[in-house]
Amino acid sequence: MSEVFEGYERQYCELSANLSRHCTAASALDGVTICAAEQKKQKLSDIKAGLDDADTLIRKMDLEARSLQPSMKAALLAKLREYKTDLNNLKSEVKRVTTSSNVSLTARDDLLESGRVDTLAITNTCKKMKILGGRSETLTGCYLWMLGQVSNDQKGRLLMSTERLNQSSDRIKEGRKTMLETEELGVSILQDLHQQRQSLLHAHTTEGSVYSRKYNPLSSRLKNIHARSSLIVPSNQLIWLTCSPN
Amino acid sequence: MGDHLARAEDFQNKAEKKLSGWGLFGSKFEDASELFDKSANSFKLAKSWDKAGSTYIKLANCHLKLESKHEAAQAYVDAAHCYKKTNINEAVSCLDNAVNIFCEIGRLSMAARYLKEIAELYESEQNIEQAVVYYEKSADFYENEEVNTSANQCKQKVAQFSAQLEQYQRSIEIYEEIARQSLSNNLLKYGVKGHLLNAGICQLCKGDVIAITNALERYQDLDPTFSGTREYRLLADIAAAIDEEDIGKFTEVVKEFDSMTPLDSWKTTLLLRVKEKLKAKELEEDDLT
Repeated sequence: MSEVFEGYERQYCELSANLSRHCTAASALDGVTICAAEQKKQKLSDIKAGLDDADTLIRKMDLEARSLQPSMKAALLAKLREYKTDLNNLKSEVKRVTTSSNVSLTARDDLLESGRVDTLAITNTCKKMKILGGRSETLTGCYLWMLGQVSNDQKGRLLMSTERLNQSSDRIKEGRKTMLETEELGVSILQDLHQQRQSLLHAHTTEGSVYSRKYNPLSSRLKNIHARSSLIVPSNQLIWLTCSPN
Repeated sequence: MGDHLARAEDFQNKAEKKLSGWGLFGSKFEDASELFDKSANSFKLAKSWDKAGSTYIKLANCHLKLESKHEAAQAYVDAAHCYKKTNINEAVSCLDNAVNIFCEIGRLSMAARYLKEIAELYESEQNIEQAVVYYEKSADFYENEEVNTSANQCKQKVAQFSAQLEQYQRSIEIYEEIARQSLSNNLLKYGVKGHLLNAGICQLCKGDVIAITNALERYQDLDPTFSGTREYRLLADIAAAIDEEDIGKFTEVVKEFDSMTPLDSWKTTLLLRVKEKLKAKELEEDDLT
């Protein structure tokens, strides 16, 4: 009898794995471009069909479980409850994907629903383990261990986000320091410019008077000639004097 | 090198001979000065700075005899540049001579520039008092020539050194004056808060709390944007720390400012003095109790 149940179980596991994959794919689609929206609609209809199948499977499993011996009944019913919650999760997933059109909303939901999505993955892995032939006790045991992993995971994520916040505040501080250094540089450049402006203005105003006096190369030679001539005259006079008694 | 040296010696000897002899047409000074010039150049090429300097001085003497004061002053300046590399006192004396001659000619701006050079030489020798004297003289000359930026630069140096020499009142006045002048100028107004910060630090060194608060109010009037700056906050916090005589707060405030813009050595020295004073006051209080 339980082989039938196990058969149904296997079918259900595969189906739910498929559905969850389709769900994530559909939610990844933006729905912005027309063809993407069409694809999304198609995927959603597929998922809905899959959900209906999963529903029927679960009902069949329920009937089977109740018709069995009480010893096995309890274990099978427990498993069934897991599957039902799993299915409900899938349904809410699908609902979210259909109703949400805004990308940021999905992102926000992703962030807040992240815990549940992970439990979905965890239950899938549990089922796979079950398919591979594990016992139900070990199944629930590993299910509990996986839940513990979830809270650790969240803690790790929180730590990471704190770390990232610290890094960004450090970067802001560095940026501010660089900005202040640049400001100091700017101030000194302005001072240099001011000085150069003053010297240019000064040169401009004094250019007229200075040029004719200083930068004329003939002027120094003129001075020399004047100096020499003033010396030549006395020597000329001396020669004239010495010659004159003749 | 040896070649230059030999040529230089050669030129110098010729020049000396010209001077001592009796040249025709009285042109001996010009020829001598030309020969001296060439020899000094060769000495420079041979890197024997002392000889070059002394040759330039002889050249200057020739020019003085020739009544060409400008050339003489220029020669003195060249001599000083040569001596800069070896013997700074000689350089200073040469520049002094040059400055005197420039004053006689009336080229005050050049005189101011060379006074500034002398001051810089003294600064490099760490002879701060003399440096202050010369920077002041240079600032006066620049002001007479209406070259305000250079005057302000020299005055800034004066203020810096006076603060180091603990003449705080003088440096406060200079910094406030510079800040007032810079406010009106579009290019310089961004440096005003730096000047006000320096003035504020000098006020803190004086140690008079009431004066500090008055000064901060005055600066606020001068420049309405000053109260928003980090500099103002630093000054106000330090004033509060001094009032409460809390060294921990003082150190914290200074460290915070330093983390954003590192403090230069002048500010560090002065702030350290303030801290020492604060510590001394604290110890005094402990003794009394």
